[in-house]
Amino acid sequence: MPPLPTMTHSSSFLLPSSSPPAPPTGADAENAVSYAVVVLNQRLPRFAPLLWTRARLRVCADGGANRVFDGMPDLLPGEDPDEVRVRYKPDAIEGDMDSVRPEVKEYYSSLGTQIIDDSPDQDTTDLNKCISFITRNPPGPDNSNLFILVLGALGGRFDHEMGNINVLHRFSNTRIILLSDDSSIFLLPKTHSHEIHIERSVEGPHCGLIPMGAPSSSSTTTGLRWNLDNTSMNFGGLLSTSNIVEEEIVTVTSDSDLIWTISLRKHT
Amino acid sequence: PLRPSPLGPRAQVRVCADGGANRVFDGMPELLPGHARDDVRSRYKPDVIKGDMDSVRPEVKEYYSNLGTKIADQSHDQDTTDLHKCVAFITDNSPGSDKSNLCILVLGALGGRFDHEMGNINVLHLFPNIKIVLLSDDCLIFLLPRTHTHSIHIERSVEGPHCGLIPVGTPSTSTTTTGLRWNLDNTHMSFGGLISTSNIVDEDQVMVTSDSDLIWTISLRH
Repeated sequence: MPPLPTMTHSSSFLLPSSSPPAPPTGADAENAVSYAVVVLNQRLPRFAPLLWTRARLRVCADGGANRVFDGMPDLLPGEDPDEVRVRYKPDAIEGDMDSVRPEVKEYYSSLGTQIIDDSPDQDTTDLNKCISFITRNPPGPDNSNLFILVLGALGGRFDHEMGNINVLHRFSNTRIILLSDDSSIFLLPKTHSHEIHIERSVEGPHCGLIPMGAPSSSSTTTGLRWNLDNTSMNFGGLLSTSNIVEEEIVTVTSDSDLIWTISLRKHT
Repeated sequence: PLRPSPLGPRAQVRVCADGGANRVFDGMPELLPGHARDDVRSRYKPDVIKGDMDSVRPEVKEYYSNLGTKIADQSHDQDTTDLHKCVAFITDNSPGSDKSNLCILVLGALGGRFDHEMGNINVLHLFPNIKIVLLSDDCLIFLLPRTHTHSIHIERSVEGPHCGLIPVGTPSTSTTTTGLRWNLDNTHMSFGGLISTSNIVDEDQVMVTSDSDLIWTISLRH
């Protein structure tokens, strides 16, 4: 059997920077990573302004617009709230509009934010709609180096959290990362061998590999304190939780899609 | 008259998993602001603090130990999660040998670090014969083992209407429900395909039958 292609992963978007990076030009532009941010309806994590600044496209799912309106000034207390709101203006607000406050919708609309009312579509979640929107309207030339960073997808109502994780499975060819104050999670599709670059200054050491939705007969890792070696994992049996990253690169191969999770350091 | 906290006076055994003792020590007085802190702390005293003791503050451990709380240090056991140790402790020590009426209510298992949450959900799958309910401010979840047909009575004054059925561990080839806005009828569910989220309870009784273990979740009213 031919070896699986390798997919590499990095959380460099969490690294602080003194100024927003300039958009790449020329040959670099073709390979450059571009970020989109989606904000769902939960309290913003502390690094929301950093990611927003890094992103070239910012979409709020319905009540996520309330969270940006209220929360960005709170996260940037030294600055004038009105200036913050204008600077941190979403490109689009998408969803069924039953959570966003009318005055918030009006405020952003008058600043040029696109309002996409999807209320007729009850079959897909708000996150699903936002991912579809972004993949149809990528900020760069295409989706090949697009990373979608999602804030507010974890915690809160459990069915929402599970629906959000299901979006990772349904869009398995799209790089989507769910972030909270405590953790970062993304899908490791079984079609690839994975190389996860650990940014030790902002993430770790706690990590895990979760066979979400289906058992894994065989997973193998390197770089963890308790590595898996052709190990089977399933709910009702062994899961890799409370593991520790020991090296700067973690490799994972599995016969099943796995969810990778790593803790975020408190000062991130 | 004192207003009891929702779970305290009714529970027969109260166990803190390691740093959970800090949360009780700090948090119970905050949730009962009309009462003297020391009164609250001695009234809401855990029976046991269990785990590897790397999170509980020394002074908190000391305080409860002096009041008679048993301290069960299991720092040598790195193979099971704190919740697992607590569930094992409760089942080993529960009044009566019949576990069919035992219900373990767990606070603090959802949200926070994702790997912890998943490890906690795994405990539900590891103890399928024990009713273990994980609760947060927003929702509660418990396992519906495939070995049974389930009749879920809905307390509409405190829970709902949002609910879901999640095949966390393995796909379900066939699930059937009644009582939901969007019922399943011999329906296939899996991650990557359909899972039942943002459903609505329409009746006081929800019935679920499935060929797979499912996680039931329902929102809690504020």
